[in-house]
Amino acid sequence: MSFSRKMAWRNYLVEGFLILASLLIILPLLIMLFGSFMTSSEVLKFSLRLPEEWKFSNYTTVFKEGGLGRAFLNGMLITGVSSILNIFTSSAASFILVRRETKWSNFLYMFFFMGLIAPMSTITTIRVVQWMGFYGSITSVILIYASLNTAFSVFLYSGFIRSIPKALDEVAFLEGANTFDVFFKIVTPLIVPVNATVAIMVFMSVWNDITIPLYFLTDSSDWTMPLSVYNFYGKYSRDWNLIFADLVLTSLPVLILYIFCQKYIVSGLTAGAVKG
Amino acid sequence: MKVSKRLYSYYLIWPALLIYSVFFVLPALTGLFYSFTDWRLDREAIKFIGWDNFERIFTDRTLLLAMKNTAIFAIVTVLGKNLLGIALAVGLNMKLKSKNLLRAIFYSPSILSVLVISIVFTPMLRSDGTINRIFEAVGLPSLSQAWLTNPALVIWTVAFVSIWQHTGFQMAIYLAGLQSISKEYYEAATIDGAGSWRSFRSITIPLLLPAININLMLTLIGGLKVFSEVFVLTGGGPGNASQVVGTIILRSFGEGSWGLGTAVNTLLFAAVTVIAIPLLIFMRRKEVSE
Repeated sequence: MSFSRKMAWRNYLVEGFLILASLLIILPLLIMLFGSFMTSSEVLKFSLRLPEEWKFSNYTTVFKEGGLGRAFLNGMLITGVSSILNIFTSSAASFILVRRETKWSNFLYMFFFMGLIAPMSTITTIRVVQWMGFYGSITSVILIYASLNTAFSVFLYSGFIRSIPKALDEVAFLEGANTFDVFFKIVTPLIVPVNATVAIMVFMSVWNDITIPLYFLTDSSDWTMPLSVYNFYGKYSRDWNLIFADLVLTSLPVLILYIFCQKYIVSGLTAGAVKG
Repeated sequence: MKVSKRLYSYYLIWPALLIYSVFFVLPALTGLFYSFTDWRLDREAIKFIGWDNFERIFTDRTLLLAMKNTAIFAIVTVLGKNLLGIALAVGLNMKLKSKNLLRAIFYSPSILSVLVISIVFTPMLRSDGTINRIFEAVGLPSLSQAWLTNPALVIWTVAFVSIWQHTGFQMAIYLAGLQSISKEYYEAATIDGAGSWRSFRSITIPLLLPAININLMLTLIGGLKVFSEVFVLTGGGPGNASQVVGTIILRSFGEGSWGLGTAVNTLLFAAVTVIAIPLLIFMRRKEVSE
């Protein structure tokens, strides 16, 4: 009895401490959110308070001045296509890598795995894309994101596919199916949860990135949202209300995705990172 | 009833292998070659110059400072993100009423862009900014600092912002690890008279090792590759006080000294590999022993 009472006290103590600590996370985000509705002079105090008057017009101003409509569509195109490409190529490759337990497939697994470790060679990647004749294009950026995420996706898929019994494939093969049938009709339906995880992880990292567009998108009409926001931040350095509105707008897509898909993030991390 | 390996067609590997090889591996290999040349934007002819680029890196004060800053950033963020990440995960694995809400709050900054968080922190870290005003309000004016303009402090400030943003991600991996530990171990330990610290040391830490290893590797590699935080918060300044390897590469690219830039990248590649491979081997050994 006294033991469980002691436990309860300890839990209250921990809970109180964690709630206090969570304020450290919430307050800066609220300063941004509330600030995005203020006037440009009111926001300059950068302290936590509700706006005197909620100025929704900041958002329409930002959307027009920052050219965000175009940037949103660019971001959707780049993020969407590179995620789908990455999901398809990485899951197919992982299936074979896991199932063929040969030296060659082990070598290829390590070859992909090195991509998790090695940093990207930006300057020579530009060179390679120039040789191929499409430097500065959205296509080049899509292919670069697909290749950059290959290592992490193969790592996640391999961990999961290893847990699918091989007997399933064997039965199908005996019935006369080929590799493609087995992959598309048996394995693909089983890895839907990992597809969701990879889609979310790739979507978030690509949507939020500024490095690749900075180096590879030479024409500002091709820019994604964060890079447009960075440019806007440089130009409107006095209007923090507009800057904050811009930041909120660029965060909305990932926030919505996170709210609807959070269970896949955790299950994917468990399957891939912790058990894999 | 063994199925022939030949049934698993290698064709399915090709698309991933092709994209990965052309846009990741090929640039890495050509980078290795260009590191030893005087490749410049404004010159057609490329000359092989041996180790000159590397000699320059190790004698140039800015470049040395950039490497030192990268190392500081990596070590500080690895320690900060993992110690705080474990602490948060252990706390939020207890029976708390608000645990789901708190988990979501701590995780939330890591889904946002580094750009967003860095811009939000910029006005708060100024000398007259929110953080210093809070210190003054609670009667600790001696703690207020020129967070982003003091050369001795700036890289630590950038590391702090990164810890603030990403610890929640590490926490999520640790939570997943904690939830895979069976409660029976703890019950047995309690019956044997072990206190909570003893249980933590002898049960939690050993069984959490896979998660610890993956987190150490992710934070270390991420720390050595740092770019966006510095680019947005300080641009490498004041002066060159917060330059890191990532910003030096951007600068070399802008200046057109591409041979030097690729040499810096090659050095980063070497450093990451030399540190990460032993960690990986350690991880594999752990996996076997489990």
